[in-house]
Amino acid sequence: MKTIVIGSGLAGLMAAYISKKRGDDVTLLASGAGTLAQNSGCIDILAYTKDKTPVTSPREAIESLPETHPYKKIGIKNIEAATKEFLSLVSSYGLPYCGDLDGVIKVSTPIGTLKSTSYVPYSMNGAALFDAKKIVIVDVERLKDFYGDILRDNLTKHLPQGIELENITIDLSINGARDVSTIDAAKRVDLKEGFDKLVEELRPHAKEGVVFLLPQILGLRGDKAYKALIEVLKTPVVETTCLPSSVNGMRLVRIFCRAFSDIGINYVENTRVIRGVIDKSRVEAVVAKAMARNVKYEGDKFILATGGFLGGGITLESFNNARESIFRLPVWMPEGEKNWSNEKLFGSCPQGFATAGIMTDNALRPVDRHKSVIYENLFVIGRNLGGYDLFFEHSGNGVALASAYHAAVQSVK
Amino acid sequence: MDNQHERSTSEDFGKREYSASYAFSQMADACIACAGCTASCPVTNADGEYVGPKLIGPAQHRFAFAEEDLEKTLKYCTNCKTCDRTCSAGVKVSTINMLTRGKYYDSHPHKVRDMMLSNHSLASHVFRSIPFGSKIANFTLKIARYCGILNMLGVTRNRKLPSYSADSFVDMLLDLDQTPKNKKVVLFQGCFIEHNAPKVGMAFVKVMEANGYEVLRDEKFVCCGSPLVSAGYIEKAWENSVINAKRILYWQRKKIPVVACCTSCSLMLKEEAGELFDDELLFQAGTNVYDAFEFLKKLKQNGELVSPSKKSEETLLYHVPCHLLSQGIGTPAKEILENEGGSKVKVLNTGCCGMAGSYGFQSETAKISLKIGEDLFNRINEEPEASVISDCATCRMQIEYGAKRKTLHPIEILADLYEKKEENPST
Repeated sequence: MKTIVIGSGLAGLMAAYISKKRGDDVTLLASGAGTLAQNSGCIDILAYTKDKTPVTSPREAIESLPETHPYKKIGIKNIEAATKEFLSLVSSYGLPYCGDLDGVIKVSTPIGTLKSTSYVPYSMNGAALFDAKKIVIVDVERLKDFYGDILRDNLTKHLPQGIELENITIDLSINGARDVSTIDAAKRVDLKEGFDKLVEELRPHAKEGVVFLLPQILGLRGDKAYKALIEVLKTPVVETTCLPSSVNGMRLVRIFCRAFSDIGINYVENTRVIRGVIDKSRVEAVVAKAMARNVKYEGDKFILATGGFLGGGITLESFNNARESIFRLPVWMPEGEKNWSNEKLFGSCPQGFATAGIMTDNALRPVDRHKSVIYENLFVIGRNLGGYDLFFEHSGNGVALASAYHAAVQSVK
Repeated sequence: MDNQHERSTSEDFGKREYSASYAFSQMADACIACAGCTASCPVTNADGEYVGPKLIGPAQHRFAFAEEDLEKTLKYCTNCKTCDRTCSAGVKVSTINMLTRGKYYDSHPHKVRDMMLSNHSLASHVFRSIPFGSKIANFTLKIARYCGILNMLGVTRNRKLPSYSADSFVDMLLDLDQTPKNKKVVLFQGCFIEHNAPKVGMAFVKVMEANGYEVLRDEKFVCCGSPLVSAGYIEKAWENSVINAKRILYWQRKKIPVVACCTSCSLMLKEEAGELFDDELLFQAGTNVYDAFEFLKKLKQNGELVSPSKKSEETLLYHVPCHLLSQGIGTPAKEILENEGGSKVKVLNTGCCGMAGSYGFQSETAKISLKIGEDLFNRINEEPEASVISDCATCRMQIEYGAKRKTLHPIEILADLYEKKEENPST
C-alpha cells in the first residue's frame, strides 16, 4: 500500500513510522521542520476534565469524554497500543520513557509549577522531588530561560512542607560569546569535558537525601548523560521541562531522523501540498509545490497531519468560515462568535477557537455536516482534528500519537 | 529569429536594483520568533559565537535601518539553508543573510582569499588557456600551500584545495563524438565538473546516451553564482544569474531542458537567484532546470527510462546535500538507484556536512566546518563496508576528508550499471 503522510509534527512523524513498520511504502511530505523543537516531548494524555478537575487516571477520565472528542472515536485500546508503539520506538533508540494510563506523573517546569503528564523520559519524572530531604536547584551560568529563584518560590507552594530548597549556580565553561540556550548547555554535557565539569560542580552537593533539579541540559543523545550522571552521583536527578527550543523535543528529532534512515521512509522536505486530486469520494493524489514546478504524489491512502491555525493546516478564509487548507474540508467551530473565546485566557473553561477542527467518523475520515464521510481513503490526525482543547485539557501529544496510530493501522479498499 | 526574441524578452531583464527589496522586509515580518531555525542550525549547534538564524536574519533585518554595520557573526552563516527548510512561516532566512552580507561588501573590501575561492571558473579559464595549465595550477597550489602563502591569505593549512583535472569536461565531451539524437538535454555542468571532476559529467552523458539522449553543452553559461553569493559578491552573482537565465530561456523556447548534476547549481538556477534578486524572469528560467535524478525520475514516470543491464546489490550510504533537500523533491537518486539499480540506499539524515563550498577552506571557519560534519562522519564510519554517495562536490570533499571514505556522485554508480556504448532507438 502506498501511503502519503502530510505534515511532520509528532502526529505526522509517528503515522509515517507506524505505517512503514506495517509494510506500507511511505512518503512523508513536509513544509517546515514540524513542531518538535517547540514540543516538550512529554506525552500528555489528559490532565484536566471539562470543569478543570485534575485527572488522576486518564484511562477512567477518557471514558466520560463527550462522543465528539477524538479519544472517544479512537478508543482506549488504540490509545494504549499507540503509547506502546511510542514507548518501544524511543526505548529502542536510547531514550526510554516511564508512565502509564492509570496515574499521572508530575514534572517541574523551569518556573517551578508542577505539570501533570502521562509519559516522560525517566530524567523528567518529578516523583523523586516529593521524597527529597533537600532539593538542590541548579542554575547554569549564562543560561537563559531558567529562573532558579522563581522556581524555588513556586515549587515551595506545591511540595510537602519540610523539604529544604537550595539554589546553586554552576559553571559548565561553555565557549562562545552569545547567550547560552538550554540546547547549548545540553550539547556541552554531551561532550566528555562538559559532562566531567558537571559532575565536578555537583559532586560537593551530592549527599544522602539530596535531589538535584536541573534545567533540561542532560544531553541530546537519549538518556546517556542522565544514566551516567545518576551512576556517579548516586543521588536522584530531575530535569525540568524546557522553554522552547526544547531539548527533549530535539532528542525526539534525532530519534525520528535515525529511525527513518533505518527503516527507509521517503522524506520530502521543503514542499507544501497545495491541493488534492479527487476522484469521486477518493483522494487519488496530492499536488505539492517543489522548487520550479509542482509534483504529484499518487497514493492509496492519505494521512493529513498539517496542524491547526498556527501550523497552517486550518485557515480562516473569511469571517466565520474556517477551512482546511489542502482539501478545503469543512472545519467545525463553535456557533456564534461570543463562544469563540473566553476573556480569561487561562480560565476554568476551554477556549472555543481551540476546539475548532475537522470532524471525522470513528475511523478518523473527514465528515460533512450530515456526518457522511467525504473521502474514504483520507485520515485526519493530530491538531487538524476538532472537538478538543489541547491547551486546556493537556492532551496534545496524546491525541497526536493515538490518532496517528489509529490512522496508520487501518487499511483502505 | 531566436536572437531577436531573446533580446526583446531580456530588455528590462536584470536592470533592477539587486538590494534587499520590500518583499524581504515583509518576509522578515512573517517570522513568529519560534526559534525552530536556531534549534536546527548546524552552525549554531557547532559554534558558540554565531547568534543564530532567527536573530541574525529576521530580527536583525527589522533594525537594519538603524544599524550602520552588520552583526559581526554573520560571516559564520554557511548559506546551507537549513533555516529556510525549517521555517513553517516561509521566511527565507538565508536569503536575508546573503543579501545583508552582500550589502556589507558594497562598502567594505574583500579578502584576496574570497576572490580566489569564489571565482573558481575565472581562475580556471586562465589556467586552461596555457599548455599544461592544469599541471601548472596544481603545482602552484601545492607550492603555495607548503610555503604557507595560502595560509597567509586566509586558507586553512590543513586542507588541500581540489586539484584541476588534466582535461576539462568540455574537452572530454568534444572527444566523445556523440551520435546526434532527437532527444536532447543541455548539461549545466558547473565549475567543479568542468575543471575538477569531469568524470561526473561523463557519467551523466553515459546514462543519458543509454536512454537515447544527446547531451549538449552551452559555452555561454557562466558560474551559477552560488559561491559568489556566499562570499558576498552579490552584484557579480546577479550578473551571472542574468547571463545564465537568458540562455536557459533560450533553451526553453527550443523545448530543451537544462539539467545539472551539482545540486547547488540547480538550486541557484531554479529558485535561489529569483529569491535573491526578486525577478520573475529568473523564476521563469528556473522552470526549465532539473536536477539530474529528478530528470531521470521524470523519464521513469513517463515510462521512458531504460533500465540498466547490470544490477548492484551494494549498500549505499547517501548523504543528501542541503541544497538538494531545499529543492523540495526528496531523494530521486534513492528511488532510481533502488528501483532500477537494485542497490540498497540508506539516507543518512545527519544534517549538513559543514563544507558549504569554500567555508571549510577558510581559516576562520575551517574548524566549525569539521565540527558541523561530526555526526555525519561518525554515522558513516558505523558502516565501514558500505559505499558512500552524495550529489554535491563539496559534500564529497568534506566526507573524504572528515570520514576518510571515498565518496561518489550517485550518477557514477548508475552509469556503471549501463553497458558501454549501449544504443537505444530514440522513439
